Amino acid sequence: MHFKDRAIAPDVTIADHVGFLTKPVKKLLYDKIPVYFLKGGDREIVKIEVVFPFGSYHQKKPLQAFTAANMLKNGTINKSSSQINKAWDFMGSSLQVDAQKDLISVGFFCLAKYLPEAIDLLTEILTEPSFPEEELELFLRNRQQKFLIDLEKVSYVARSQFAGLLYGYDHPYGTFLKSENFEMIHRDDILDYYNRFIQADRCMMFVAGNFPDNTEELLENKMKPFSLHTSASANGIDIPVIQPIHGKHSISKSNASQSSVRIGKIAINRTHPDFHKLSLTNTLLGGYFGSRLMQNIRQNKGFTYGIHSGLVTLIHSSYFFITSQIGKQVVDQAIPEIYEELKKLRTQPVSEGEILMLKNYLAGNFLRMFDGPFAQIQRWKEIIMFDQKPSYYTDFLKTLKNIKSDDFREIAEKHLHEEQMTELVVG
Amino acid sequence: MIKFERFTLDNGLRVILHFDPSTPLVAVNTLYDVGARDEDPDHTGFAHLFEHLMFEGSKHIPDYDHELQLAGGENNAFTNNDITNYYLTLPAQNLETALWLESDRMMELAFSEEKLHIQKNIVTEEFRQTFLDQPYGDVMALLRSLVYQVHPYKWSTIGKDIQHISRVTLPQVKDFFYRFYRPNNAIVSIAGNIDMETTRKLVEKWFADIEPGESIVRNLPPEPAQNAKRELTVEKDVPFDEVYLAFHTGTRLDRSFYITDLITDILAGGRSSRMMENLVRKKKIFSEANAFISGSIDTGFLVLTGKIHKGNDVQDALEMLWEEINDLSNHLIDPYELQKVINKTETSNVFSQTGVLPKAMNLAYYELLGDANLINSQDQTYFTISQDDVLQTCKEIFKPSRTNILKYLSNH
Repeated sequence: MHFKDRAIAPDVTIADHVGFLTKPVKKLLYDKIPVYFLKGGDREIVKIEVVFPFGSYHQKKPLQAFTAANMLKNGTINKSSSQINKAWDFMGSSLQVDAQKDLISVGFFCLAKYLPEAIDLLTEILTEPSFPEEELELFLRNRQQKFLIDLEKVSYVARSQFAGLLYGYDHPYGTFLKSENFEMIHRDDILDYYNRFIQADRCMMFVAGNFPDNTEELLENKMKPFSLHTSASANGIDIPVIQPIHGKHSISKSNASQSSVRIGKIAINRTHPDFHKLSLTNTLLGGYFGSRLMQNIRQNKGFTYGIHSGLVTLIHSSYFFITSQIGKQVVDQAIPEIYEELKKLRTQPVSEGEILMLKNYLAGNFLRMFDGPFAQIQRWKEIIMFDQKPSYYTDFLKTLKNIKSDDFREIAEKHLHEEQMTELVVG
Repeated sequence: MIKFERFTLDNGLRVILHFDPSTPLVAVNTLYDVGARDEDPDHTGFAHLFEHLMFEGSKHIPDYDHELQLAGGENNAFTNNDITNYYLTLPAQNLETALWLESDRMMELAFSEEKLHIQKNIVTEEFRQTFLDQPYGDVMALLRSLVYQVHPYKWSTIGKDIQHISRVTLPQVKDFFYRFYRPNNAIVSIAGNIDMETTRKLVEKWFADIEPGESIVRNLPPEPAQNAKRELTVEKDVPFDEVYLAFHTGTRLDRSFYITDLITDILAGGRSSRMMENLVRKKKIFSEANAFISGSIDTGFLVLTGKIHKGNDVQDALEMLWEEINDLSNHLIDPYELQKVINKTETSNVFSQTGVLPKAMNLAYYELLGDANLINSQDQTYFTISQDDVLQTCKEIFKPSRTNILKYLSNH
């Protein structure tokens, strides 16, 4: 133990067992609402989340889903927005609303001692929102101002416009906001969305943390009014086909000192047999600090503070992207380097050393992804949302263990060909 | 209750160990007692640039990140005005790799002109990304230059001028390292699924032979009490006007730190807070409002701010902020309202004790403040704060003659 040679790394072991994966316990509330319980953690904190697998994809006009979800907390039949806010704050908690493309989530973290009151309030908010006109106006006006500030950021413009290029501006995954959208949302739109999607027969629930043993009973006793609400018909959404706008695009912003660069393409879905391998190839390319893009463009050339690649997985489609903010004076040198890295991926073998580093890093990262009840429930939520098998993560670990140099080349050739990329430079 | 052990090596390195069996991971946090406040006024941004150089190879290990990733680890670091903090997590069985890495770069760095040059470029891009190209990105820098006339808190961590970074030389880098990056100026805390006795031995194995440096006596000029109002107006390429009101507060170790923390929660912590309720919802002058404390170790400051809706006057906005301040300084707050912000603090303290990384970070920081056990005892301090404490502290802090006003106006 006391022998040491600083030039020699201590031994490293990488565990490949998955014994730490706790599966949530599924129950049906009122024979209707699936609830997943995952107990863990030593502190008395509970997280409850009600998830509706619907989002902006299912809306009739921009901001409808986002506004409906966020307005839930701004007034009920019996409580004003101020009263609701005060009640959450007094419990040391707050209602967290998330509205994405395929998902609306409404939930909270709280100390276990406040759980009964918190469930009552959540139920009231979901069951009897009153969507007051004045609150709606205030909400939209404030959000519009936030949006106008976001528009000043090259990264925001690049992110939102890039989805438009990949899917076409009319596709629900490709639309981006305009300032006037904030003036075209009305109370009827909110009610319409709420009635169709934010209803008990369309949701699932997740309960995680060190919750009291009577939690199931609490939900059973308190959420009855919510369970009685059922959705109006959800027909009438025409999903347009994907109409990508290929090629290289740029948007000028003269006062910016950097350019935000996005390069990417539509990718395979999470259910595709190649998906795990694609995910590993993405990590090798730009998914962690040791990745090729980070090493080349940041560490060796100093062109940027950071460069990343990633996969955005949506229910109906996925896309691959590379993103970086790069000094304007070097952006013309940096972009060809990015394409070169993509080409290398499909034409040159990956060394054993690089594969080992990727495997070990990801094995450790896997532990981080599942560390604690709140991280774990998040992972299971993803599986359930995408209707995937519980073996999804063990399959991933198997793929990680067995991946070979040729797999990366094959995957890059099939799914990440540099000539198929769409490019956008903002700045 | 977070249980921990602490000991000090002969070379002065302070070590804290905490056992958490609920995770397969371990977190290692290495805190160096050096920040932007220790910089020369002509070489600002140095501490942060140095943080980058700590990843560019040490005497026996050319690539820190490479070795850590091979052990399944991930790391990051931050620099603020007070400290430079390095943290990582990795599978618990590979703890020794982390100690090997951290001790080697505490012992001696592999300095090179080329790496210095590249990191200067990266930091320049960081400066552009987070400061220049962010709307309102320079607000904190402007506020600091207004609030502090003497104390080195008057510049930001990134530096007051990016030219300072480009002028840094290798001898300066070496000097900084041997002055500040010594074991007697550092705290290592380790939290996770560890055997305490084995870990103690491993820490001794890797850190005990590092030479201590000269002890550092910090002799910073204290910020004199402000006696006249200061005001700064800037016009920038941003879509909306913002207004800031800033006031000096006590130091981190004063009891008033906790009171000012609650005061900012009363003002803007949560949707039912006074500024949200009165200024955003009722008077509709701001689209967003906030109040916060700088949280620094030496004399800090408290800020009230809001983004002003188009068509409103910045002077009206200032007056409305003053109405809130006067209300707090002249009337006892409701017991319910005090309880509300204490409850909020209780929840956030419980969260800060969840997960090995926050625990390791907090233990090291509190030890720097004087006692790692603050992680357990802080809650009690909040519980003792009375309505009158809030009133008296408001009266002390919020004086018109001690006001710093920043008007950040849109040129659109």
